[in-house]
Amino acid sequence: MTILNESGIPDVLPPLHAVNGLAERLPDVLVVVVGTQADAHLVQCLPAVPSPNLPRSRRNPRVIFAVIDPGDPPQQGLLASRIVESAAGLHGTKLVLLVAGRTAGSLGVDAAFEARLVARKLDLPAEVVNPDAPRMVPGVLSTDLEDSVLATLVNLCPKRRTSDLVETASPAKRGGLFGGLLGRGIEASQSKDSRPVVLLGGALSPGAARMLAAEFSRARVEVAGAVPGLRIGELPPLGEGTVVAVMDPNLTSAATAAERRGATVVRTLMPVGVDGTARFVQDVAEEAGTRTSEVVRARSAWEDLGVLRNRIRGKRIFFTGDTGLEIPLARFLADAGAVVLEVGAPRLDRRFLAAELQALGPDVDIVVSPDYRGQTNRIDETRPDVVICSPGLHLPLVARGHLCRSPRDFLEAGLYGYGGARRILELLVLTMQRAETLDSLNL
Amino acid sequence: MKLLRGVYEGPQSYGILRLAASIRGVHALLRALPGEAYFRTLYAARERTGEMAPVTLSPLREGPDDSMAPGNLARDISGVVRRHPKTEIVILARSEASLLSEESIPVTEAEGTGRPPELVTFSWESSGMRETEAAELALEDLIRARMHDRPQRSPYPTVNLFGPPIFGPDAAAEYAEAERLLDMIGVEVNARVPLGANVGDLGRLSRAWANVLLYREIGESATLYLQDELGMPRVTTPMIGAAGTGAVLRSVGELCQLDPKSVQRTIWAELACTAKLPWYARLEPPETFQDRRVAIFGDFTYPLGLGYALAREVGLEITACGTYLTHLERDFLFHAHTFTEGAFVEDDPDEVAARIEAAKPDLLIGTHLEEGVADSLGVPFLPLCPPVIDRPFVERPLVGYAGSSVLADALDSVLQRTREEPAGEAGMQWTDGALQEAAEVPLFLRGRARRRAEERARQQGSREVTREIFLESRS
Repeated sequence: MTILNESGIPDVLPPLHAVNGLAERLPDVLVVVVGTQADAHLVQCLPAVPSPNLPRSRRNPRVIFAVIDPGDPPQQGLLASRIVESAAGLHGTKLVLLVAGRTAGSLGVDAAFEARLVARKLDLPAEVVNPDAPRMVPGVLSTDLEDSVLATLVNLCPKRRTSDLVETASPAKRGGLFGGLLGRGIEASQSKDSRPVVLLGGALSPGAARMLAAEFSRARVEVAGAVPGLRIGELPPLGEGTVVAVMDPNLTSAATAAERRGATVVRTLMPVGVDGTARFVQDVAEEAGTRTSEVVRARSAWEDLGVLRNRIRGKRIFFTGDTGLEIPLARFLADAGAVVLEVGAPRLDRRFLAAELQALGPDVDIVVSPDYRGQTNRIDETRPDVVICSPGLHLPLVARGHLCRSPRDFLEAGLYGYGGARRILELLVLTMQRAETLDSLNL
Repeated sequence: MKLLRGVYEGPQSYGILRLAASIRGVHALLRALPGEAYFRTLYAARERTGEMAPVTLSPLREGPDDSMAPGNLARDISGVVRRHPKTEIVILARSEASLLSEESIPVTEAEGTGRPPELVTFSWESSGMRETEAAELALEDLIRARMHDRPQRSPYPTVNLFGPPIFGPDAAAEYAEAERLLDMIGVEVNARVPLGANVGDLGRLSRAWANVLLYREIGESATLYLQDELGMPRVTTPMIGAAGTGAVLRSVGELCQLDPKSVQRTIWAELACTAKLPWYARLEPPETFQDRRVAIFGDFTYPLGLGYALAREVGLEITACGTYLTHLERDFLFHAHTFTEGAFVEDDPDEVAARIEAAKPDLLIGTHLEEGVADSLGVPFLPLCPPVIDRPFVERPLVGYAGSSVLADALDSVLQRTREEPAGEAGMQWTDGALQEAAEVPLFLRGRARRRAEERARQQGSREVTREIFLESRS
């Protein structure tokens, strides 16, 4: 594996576009986008799940734009009182999210203050999410807003009751310590306690957490809940003694937030692909206090995929990079026999993704902050079989005769778990099959 | 500050980029945060040609001089010049974040040299400005920048067409229809501006005898400039409906000193073959249009043009006609008052919904944001005013005689359908509590909420909608 830094401009969908998707996904949240006309226009133009054709999306009554006139910035507290008025017409609101980025800040809006005021007046939690928040590692991913929102939700999770903690505190600590020191700790399996597991991620594929919870229950590990879950009212307790299993590679802030609350965040592979799921289930189970082996299950999963793998073997795949999901996907496809030509990473947090990067095959090149023009040229030169690219590059690449899919197609199909591994391969095979059928037409 | 559920216009940078992407040979450098660059994605999805938008991002970031990565403006400009050798004009557009950050824009060597590529910057850019106004001013500046040679008037009659920029609904088809009609009366189109023009065309505008404005929102200042500077007359009547189109053709004929009889002959010929709106108005029994109320909302040209055509040529009652272009308020109200009492200017979708609801229309013509209102009121809807998000592969013009037929078809389908609809069941009673709850529902959802509540009440065998039934139907 080689990591190159191209210092270019990657083609990444603005993180703010995710507002629509999040509002659809979390039905009891009122999202207020605080900013200028530009922010409101962006959110309105880009639909919930951007496919290359950007299908029309219904206006969501739970997304409101606070458009601030730069010539006349609002007085303190005005924004809050307007939000309170609009929230009155929407039943069942459990959380108010103020999405306030850099423009809101430079217009002098104190979003945190307004949020506190909203919280007090409505007697509901109100939080600020900054889509432009500076991060440890530079770069922008199109999924950054989801990460920030999940970090906020982590902080909203109820803390575990002290009585629960007292019961499990000492053995849990011992298990955690040995688990950390000895890798696959044998001690851990011997300890009788089991710590609750909370799944973190899958913000845009609602069924994801349920699928993984099923895998865990097969391994006799109980999943206490998921963040974001289905409703804000059902957020699981998260704090000291909780094991947090991160499902997406882009959730650095959310994982950090969980760690700050004292939870143990398991650093392992993402549950994408067969080996990824196996390692994920095994490591999380171990951290939770149950020793399990996924070897048999992984082997049979690979065997089941035999036919599909034959179709994928030797196919050349290029990832331009957009969501951050590309790295686990590339890892799985390389394991399944595909040739991964390049993986673009608009941002690469090497420490967070250490396990993923280690598991990535030796022949895979990662290009950090790739330049989309450079990538287009490389795609033209190498002529991959499939390009997995962002919506901005999709049409231009299709016009140049390449076969393209969006990383979001995989998310929509459900890419987690063993079942997800099959769906990933099926999606690719279907894509190639259809292209072959269309190519064979005599037009 | 306003709390809105949607916006009709984008920011000023978006208007400038739309304009820049319409003219060949122009490349825009957008100074913005990395998270503000969505134009390329939109361009790919809306145009569906497979071409990349002629827009490059110059990301606004800390310490741009620490590395050779993009971010240093001067370097990014030379990068554009190097990467796009055929570019003749480089436009510098600044996003809201860039304008609010108050960074100073360095003057580079490329500026003002007159050698290609020329760098055009806009001193009027401000963060409060909207898309349409910015596009209008940018077009004028671009034309001013190319007014070096001013070639002589062409020996035969020609006109410039000032139409919509890219993403306009069926924009290319609008130009094509106007050009077809002008060609029939013997007037050649010197240039289509901005869509379909190249940089060279901008310098040759002075060849034309007159300017025809298909889309006044974008061409207004540019044509006024040409009128003041070169004395070029302009035709501003919207070319919508058969009467509007005829008026434009006659004015052009006059300005180009054509024989009025021959122009009239062409108009008659077209009326006989292509223009179906007058024919439709005559064919349908008067009851179809009698007491039918229409609400129209949109930009400037389309609501006014459609308002004239529907009120005069078809005989529908226009109970509301509005625009979201607040900077054109006086002009709009002046024209709209000639055919309706309900003219208004409003850029908040909820207020627009309230105005439309108050006008009690039987048909709503508007932008994509009004679709929900029509749905909520249960009236047919025609998305004929920009912004619209449908992107058909086959474009159908709304201007000219062919456009009048498109309009006739659209009217025929919706007016027919409502006539066939069974009369609604007898009105259901609402308790005060239920009415109070309904009043809190956002306007554009209210009609649907009412219908669902009544349906629920019927299912439960209740004769009235109570607060409980209403809340149940919403959960």
